[in-house]
Amino acid sequence: MRNAVRKIGYFCSLVPEEIIMAAGLQPVRISGQAESTSAADGYLYHNLCPYIKNVMSGGLEGGLKGLDGVVFARSCDGMRRMYDAWKTYVNGGFSYMLEVPRNNDEDAVQYYTTQLREFARSLEHACGGKISTAALRKSIRKLNKSRHLLRAIYFFQQTTPLPFKGSHLFKLGLTVFSEDKNEAEKKLRDHHRKSWSVEPRKPNGRKARILISGNVMDRPDLFEIVEAAGAEVPAADLCTDLRYFNRFVDEDITDPYLALARAYLGEPHCSRTASARERAEEIRKLTQTYNIDGVLLTSVKFCDQHLYDAPFIMRDLAEAEIPAIFLENDYTFTSRSQIATRVEGFIETLEGRRS
Amino acid sequence: MLKQFYENMKSALEAQYKERPRAFLPVNIHLASTLLDAYREDARVVWASFYSFPMELIAAFDVAPFDYEIATNLLPMMDADGCVNIMSRAEEEGYSTDICSFHRLAMGCQLLGYMPKADLLLSSSYFCDGKAKLNQIIANYYGKESITLDVPNRIDKESIAYVSRQLQGIAGRLEKVAGHKLDHDRLRECIRAFNRARSAYGRLAEVQKMKPFPWNGALAVNMSIFGNLIAGKPTQERLYQDLVDECSAKLAGGRLTPEKYRVLWLAWFPEQPTNINEIFKKSGVSIVMGELERIFWDEIDEKNPWEGMALWCLKNPYVGPIEQRMAGIMQMVDEYDVDGVVHFSADACRHSCAAHRMIADELQKKNVPFIVLEGDMSDKRKYSEERSRLLLESFIDVMSGRKKEIKYSRLAGN
Repeated sequence: MRNAVRKIGYFCSLVPEEIIMAAGLQPVRISGQAESTSAADGYLYHNLCPYIKNVMSGGLEGGLKGLDGVVFARSCDGMRRMYDAWKTYVNGGFSYMLEVPRNNDEDAVQYYTTQLREFARSLEHACGGKISTAALRKSIRKLNKSRHLLRAIYFFQQTTPLPFKGSHLFKLGLTVFSEDKNEAEKKLRDHHRKSWSVEPRKPNGRKARILISGNVMDRPDLFEIVEAAGAEVPAADLCTDLRYFNRFVDEDITDPYLALARAYLGEPHCSRTASARERAEEIRKLTQTYNIDGVLLTSVKFCDQHLYDAPFIMRDLAEAEIPAIFLENDYTFTSRSQIATRVEGFIETLEGRRS
Repeated sequence: MLKQFYENMKSALEAQYKERPRAFLPVNIHLASTLLDAYREDARVVWASFYSFPMELIAAFDVAPFDYEIATNLLPMMDADGCVNIMSRAEEEGYSTDICSFHRLAMGCQLLGYMPKADLLLSSSYFCDGKAKLNQIIANYYGKESITLDVPNRIDKESIAYVSRQLQGIAGRLEKVAGHKLDHDRLRECIRAFNRARSAYGRLAEVQKMKPFPWNGALAVNMSIFGNLIAGKPTQERLYQDLVDECSAKLAGGRLTPEKYRVLWLAWFPEQPTNINEIFKKSGVSIVMGELERIFWDEIDEKNPWEGMALWCLKNPYVGPIEQRMAGIMQMVDEYDVDGVVHFSADACRHSCAAHRMIADELQKKNVPFIVLEGDMSDKRKYSEERSRLLLESFIDVMSGRKKEIKYSRLAGN
């Protein structure tokens, strides 16, 4: 049976939700819900990103049946190959590969603008209905508002002690990706109000402040590990956190597709588009903004973009005398205890340094 | 060390050629000379991906091209320890063993100071995520610009225009490095040379259809990667034609070893010493064609070189949806009358490995045996001779069984 609200899943934060919303559909960022990737193992190579294998397993096992279609982005080699396998073996209706340029210069912006128009046409064709300029402008305004609220909430995370636990805000962010946007906005407003009125907790000795920086993360495990070890996470530089809402689409540009292209190819970026140097600079900037004591750099296994950048970023942070640790994860954090041991050790080092 | 390696390689190859002039040797001599040019003090060095960047554009400028993947990954062939110490240097720096050994080896060479200088670094978005990334990272060591030629996954008016515009922008950067303007007549001449070489390469591909296969399949696969280093130069056509002539003479002489099985090779052939050739030789297996040897591009219109070069990128089997790659594979299976298909899977080569299942399913429909041979291009720690022997010998048994089946079926009049 068809859902009351038709939903379109998407895989990467470079896919503009605004276009999906303008078609009268609900965008849902696809997270991996499978506990095991065994269903995908027969279809994708073992050395492929566990996020990709997890969502592929979900697709094969029918876990994404509630979606009317799926939008891929040309984000990496793994995603391009999953798109092929998805079309062949999952075949869940509308599936679309959005051409997201690798570069972010003006030429790339112009090309991306043409691709966003093409995407809108394909969506209209597949799902019915017309995407009017007025509807697109409305959805741009709506998401700008949500992102603005998230930014405002995170503004207070610069203080000590934190108004909200990092794990709590991370989970709040996840609901923004997957829930009805009106409902999500209500939650954001509620949190925004609270962040103004939260009584500062009595500082029980200042806790070490950790910036989590990485790629895709859909589970709060790492936040919880850090918090259980006695530190706090004011912000997270992830595709599913700061990078999602540190973006503003210009509402005044005549061509809304051009506005979207500019905003989505604008800063900040993950290692897919940004160079290692740009990533390192962004991380250093965040450590100042959020008064960070240490950086926990993480990546899902086999993500070349991040694995190549990691040594450069670690060296850059060391030169800037910012303590940092690099941890790979398997997306579902099956080795949670091992990670916890390393995180605890890192936080102890930070505490020692601070005392 | 790297420079010394290529100096030794060049003189050894020249001596070999003097003693016995085989057509393939000059290809390697040119490879060594080109890489050595990058070490000249007065050279303006452009690092580029020989196999995924239109080198005929670079040939139109007075610059020395250099490809760190190709330059460093011939090293393990000559080193008993497989250059593990060089890779380890990169691993000590934090480069994971999960990333491509080509790149760990290159990074190791970089950290050890073996590389020539770079004035500009070019790579493409489709070969591969890792190479584009490492280019960016190495650019920091020289304080130079790294440009990624972004090649979309689809071929249409917009993508052709987008890639063409980028190539024109890159030509502007090359002008600065070379210290001279792009001479459009010279570019046209490079395009003509490239087209002539394409024809010669096509003749070589035709000769490879002959039975028995008249050449060395592993060399042919590797030449598809580094043969492009001289794209746009008249030498390329001559070298390919010499190979055609040599193969034709061998066929006419009738002294070739009979072959039992003909194999299509997918993805890369390892650069490090392996037992693959030995196993195949023992059982009469010829690698008759490599996936990357297929001529997937059209002649470039010299009046519209930007679009032609853009299409050369866009039509690469590793760009675009899997159908683009699959169509090429199936075409070669038929044209080369193969008994089986081997996919060499270097663990970190995600874009080639991730299509195994789809390729296997398509080949099964044609009843063509298929095997995935896991290993590594350069890292001997990730290649098991015994495992390869077990897999390849079983694969040969399967090909043998299929041949018998076909034979009995024909005898039975089916």
